[in-house]
Amino acid sequence: METNDQLIQDITTQEYEYGFITDIEMDRAPNGLNEDTIRYISEKKNEPEWMLKWRMKGYEAFLRQDMPTWQNFTLPPMDFQGISYYAAPRTKKKYESLDEVDPELLATFEKLGIPLNEQKVLSGVAVDAVFDSISVATTYKGKLKEMGIIFCSFGEAVQEYPDLVKKYLGSVVPHSDNIFASLNTAVFSDGSFVYIPKGVRCPMELSTYFRINAENTGQFERTLIIADEGSYVSYLEGCTAPMRDENQLHAAVVELIALEGAEIKYSTVQNWYPGDKEGRGGIYNFVTKRGVCRGANSKISWTQVETGSSITWKYPAVILQGDNSTGEFYSIAVTKNKQVADTGTKMHHIGKNTRSRIISKGISAGHSNNSYRGLVQVGAKADNARNFTQCDSLLLGAECSANTFPYIETRNNTAMVEHEATTSKIGEDQIFYLNQRGIDSEKAVALIVNGYVKEVLNQLPMEFAVEAQKLLSITLEGSVG
Amino acid sequence: MTKQITIPLYTELLEGFSHSDENATDDTLQKIRRAGFENFKKSGFPTRRDEDWKYTTISSFLQEQYHINGIAKELTASAELISEAIVPSLDAYQLVLVNGKLQPHNNNFPGFIKIIPISEAVIQDDVRQHFAGNSTVASGHFAALNTALFSNGLFIEISANAAIDKPLHIVHAFTSATNVFIQPRHLFVVHQGAELNVIETIVSENSLAKIFVNSLTEVIVEENASFNHYVLQTAKTGVRLVNQTDVKQKRHSVYSNYTFCMPKADLIRNNLNVALNAEQTETHLYGLYLGEDQQLIDNHSLIHHKFPHCNSNEIYKGVLLDKATGVFNGKVFVNPEAQKTNAFQQNNNLLLSNNATINTKPQLEIFADDVKCSHGATVGQLSKEAMFYLQSRGIGEEAARALLVNAFAFDVTEKIKIPELEQYINHLIALHIPGNKN
Amino acid sequence: MLTIKNLNARVEDKQILKGINLKVNAGEVHAIMGPNGSGKSSLASVLAGRDNYEVLEGEVDLDGKDLLEMSPEDRAREGVFMAFQYPIEIPGVSNINFLRTALNEIRAYRKLPQLDAKQFLKLSKERQKLVEFDAKLVNRSLNEGFSGGEKKRNEIFQLAMLEPKLCVLDETDSGLDIDALRIVSNGVNKLRSKDNAFILITHYQRLLEYIVPDFVHVLYDGRIIKSGTKELALELEEKGYDWLKESFREQPV
Repeated sequence: METNDQLIQDITTQEYEYGFITDIEMDRAPNGLNEDTIRYISEKKNEPEWMLKWRMKGYEAFLRQDMPTWQNFTLPPMDFQGISYYAAPRTKKKYESLDEVDPELLATFEKLGIPLNEQKVLSGVAVDAVFDSISVATTYKGKLKEMGIIFCSFGEAVQEYPDLVKKYLGSVVPHSDNIFASLNTAVFSDGSFVYIPKGVRCPMELSTYFRINAENTGQFERTLIIADEGSYVSYLEGCTAPMRDENQLHAAVVELIALEGAEIKYSTVQNWYPGDKEGRGGIYNFVTKRGVCRGANSKISWTQVETGSSITWKYPAVILQGDNSTGEFYSIAVTKNKQVADTGTKMHHIGKNTRSRIISKGISAGHSNNSYRGLVQVGAKADNARNFTQCDSLLLGAECSANTFPYIETRNNTAMVEHEATTSKIGEDQIFYLNQRGIDSEKAVALIVNGYVKEVLNQLPMEFAVEAQKLLSITLEGSVG
Repeated sequence: MTKQITIPLYTELLEGFSHSDENATDDTLQKIRRAGFENFKKSGFPTRRDEDWKYTTISSFLQEQYHINGIAKELTASAELISEAIVPSLDAYQLVLVNGKLQPHNNNFPGFIKIIPISEAVIQDDVRQHFAGNSTVASGHFAALNTALFSNGLFIEISANAAIDKPLHIVHAFTSATNVFIQPRHLFVVHQGAELNVIETIVSENSLAKIFVNSLTEVIVEENASFNHYVLQTAKTGVRLVNQTDVKQKRHSVYSNYTFCMPKADLIRNNLNVALNAEQTETHLYGLYLGEDQQLIDNHSLIHHKFPHCNSNEIYKGVLLDKATGVFNGKVFVNPEAQKTNAFQQNNNLLLSNNATINTKPQLEIFADDVKCSHGATVGQLSKEAMFYLQSRGIGEEAARALLVNAFAFDVTEKIKIPELEQYINHLIALHIPGNKN
Repeated sequence: MLTIKNLNARVEDKQILKGINLKVNAGEVHAIMGPNGSGKSSLASVLAGRDNYEVLEGEVDLDGKDLLEMSPEDRAREGVFMAFQYPIEIPGVSNINFLRTALNEIRAYRKLPQLDAKQFLKLSKERQKLVEFDAKLVNRSLNEGFSGGEKKRNEIFQLAMLEPKLCVLDETDSGLDIDALRIVSNGVNKLRSKDNAFILITHYQRLLEYIVPDFVHVLYDGRIIKSGTKELALELEEKGYDWLKESFREQPV
């Protein structure tokens, strides 16, 4: 077991490879949060009056709410006045073409493996790149527009498609939903907006890449995706941040709306800076993600690979309102060092014949704390609702923890709900068997872990499954338990 | 805490305590009571904001005007009521408690069993070390309140290496013509290498009065001892039962709890806490709840693995009819030191009515890596295929349903080690199932 | 005993039976053969009263009583027994307890006295022997963990216990090895009497070597397209079903 201990040691010294800082001139709001801050942001974004009003409603709700206390980890005190709520690269307001984008910024994304030059772009993927608070570039916009698909920054959507934004903004996550969602409502700076028209199948993956760069800032972006009747879209978000000693807050809101017969597939590969091995620094990733299957036969599927952030705290949810609608949640959450992940999903069965499926795979190493927390709720009218939940935890090392908190609330006697959970370590006999066939322990663990998470990886779009697998193997390098 | 003031009972309890405090005779005991009281004052009655009471609004059962301790002391229970607790053809030692107070009995107990009222026991030094353990008093709410104000109860002790020849059947009878708030307190000590089998049956008189029972039982299972603990809750409408059982297990001990919650009582809330305080213990928690009418049955359990090589196993099954609500929460904690833990937990529920509700939350919190832990929870109905199969063999719908519910309960009922009791439980299930349509 | 007239039935939106006519007298054994999907098992299900089948038209008369009006359990009590193609497993219900409940319910319906534990046990032992059913299986949970063959033998054991008038064996031979087939067939042959009747639903002629039928019917596309004696089964074995299908297609519908 000594070698195993050594290997576990190694993993804690694994460097975060996206931890560099881009040196660029920034526009920043002064630190602090008050009505002036919100006016400043709204003005910077040249927003109409109704947006400012809505932000103010969010701010009022934020002031009314207390910090949550039900979590099973210690929430560090938050100084909401100590950070800046707006930071943007100081350049022109709008880029006409990529040629006008600061080369330093392009280089940054190039370095992150997200080339914004359309010739170099991963084929079949359109990217919206968000740097600190601002969307810097969106690729393939023109091509998508021909099909009636809108894929742009949130700020642009407010200007160009105010009716769509007005109709759906806050319709899934209300301005007063929870303290972080309210904060986001008040100060969100940008994000992505997607509209897929009736009957259109989006021909490529849409992707947003988030990068926090500036010091002492928070990132508050907002994503709104509307899939009109019979349409389909697959969307992916990725994220990184530089290594800094202080914690940075990321409080995003994602709203998905699937109308009749529509399908939205939302995938996340979350790799924010996780802090160092002593638990210094790292991103607080407090995100509210919720989708509603508004129409009959619609489907929303969340897939997440969570490896970063010092604290990840989110529960992507699906409101299964339309009859025969389907919600899915596939999750891999890896924690090491002193990371905390408290994540899971909520499935609200409201319509008849609604189905949900939850597959969660937690892997904890080091001194980390990894929890699955989920809710399956079957309302009185949700006849024939079906849920299946499988959540497994794998422990690598003796100083981490794995917790499972599933809530099941059923008020319908035609519902079938099944929940299974296991916690285990990788069996020594399994490793031995592979050893005996000539595979070293490290590869054996990778093989077993890969088998363990395969069900979830399979849900990712192909281009990203490989990325995610690579990310996992780096994160878990050497962690034999 | 300001909220608590709106419940008349809260004020009354505060007054009740200062009254009993003045009349206290034993200083040490009074210190324990005071500690309990301070804890209760701090925590008050639980609200839905307490995670452990999220699904059970206790305040709705506390709105009535209750007489606190003492009022029903002199009552005796009718022979009919006691006979309701009888398990047919079971040979057992019988004890009867009325409203928590031990009644005279003429059992010829073996010399190695000691049975006395709790009030006599707690003034003895060797008993007091087991009484009101820290975890119990500190947990606040009902446990603290019971500690502050308990009046009657039972102390049972079985000597080292002794084995009881037949089960000890304790009948808890509750009866009152007016609303009462009763707080019994019990302590069972199973000494090293001893073996004890206890059946506790709760019965109550048909009455319009509300009887709130806040009961607390502490159980000590010493090294190498074994305790089979059966609890059968058959109280009637009007009874609200909050029943806490705190178990401490020592090395190589085995504790098996079998809890059966039957229809009628307005509320049953069980808190079953098992602390595994040494290595190589074995714990089995089996439960069956059958909810009818507007009943609320809430089973909370906690198994705390603190040492290596301990096994725990929990199976709870629920059947909910009419407008009944079932709640299950099973916590399994595994400390970092508790390597080689095996913990298994299962909760299955049948919803047999359109208006029934189940809220279930199995919960694992694991801090050690070399463990095997799993839990499962299901909510479903009787299989239509199985119903059809039985019907196609000439079995009527009601009988078929009873058969299948019995089969559903089988994982729990088959674990009962007393055949007469197993038969009786199956009989009770069959009795309550047929009348209800799917 | 049994008269089926112009029976039409559907499952969901698909019509499966399209006018079945069949008369079965006491003491007779009828074999119903036909290719996959011809409606054989559906006929058995409709007779037993499975509720996802909807009868559109027709009559089924069992000794003067309208079978289609009855609940599944009443059909059983009247003496209809179906040996399932896929017997279900019911964990926790012991085989013996289940059978005793079934038998006493049927006896009560027929106004016969209940069997006490001793009588029941005696009968059970006797019938186990008759159909060569393993005593160990009797005490296990119903079909739980039984092999395919054990499940089918359990069906025959139940048949022996419940003494029905009309026995419908739905593909009881499928998935059986030759020994199990022999045991099952012997059981059936021993249980045959002048008072009961059997309908054997099967895909293969093999079973009919062991249980010799009085009549053989070929079911195709929801209709009986040919009836004959046991020689028809041999002919089918030799020529397959295609020649019948073709002649059927040529007929005006």
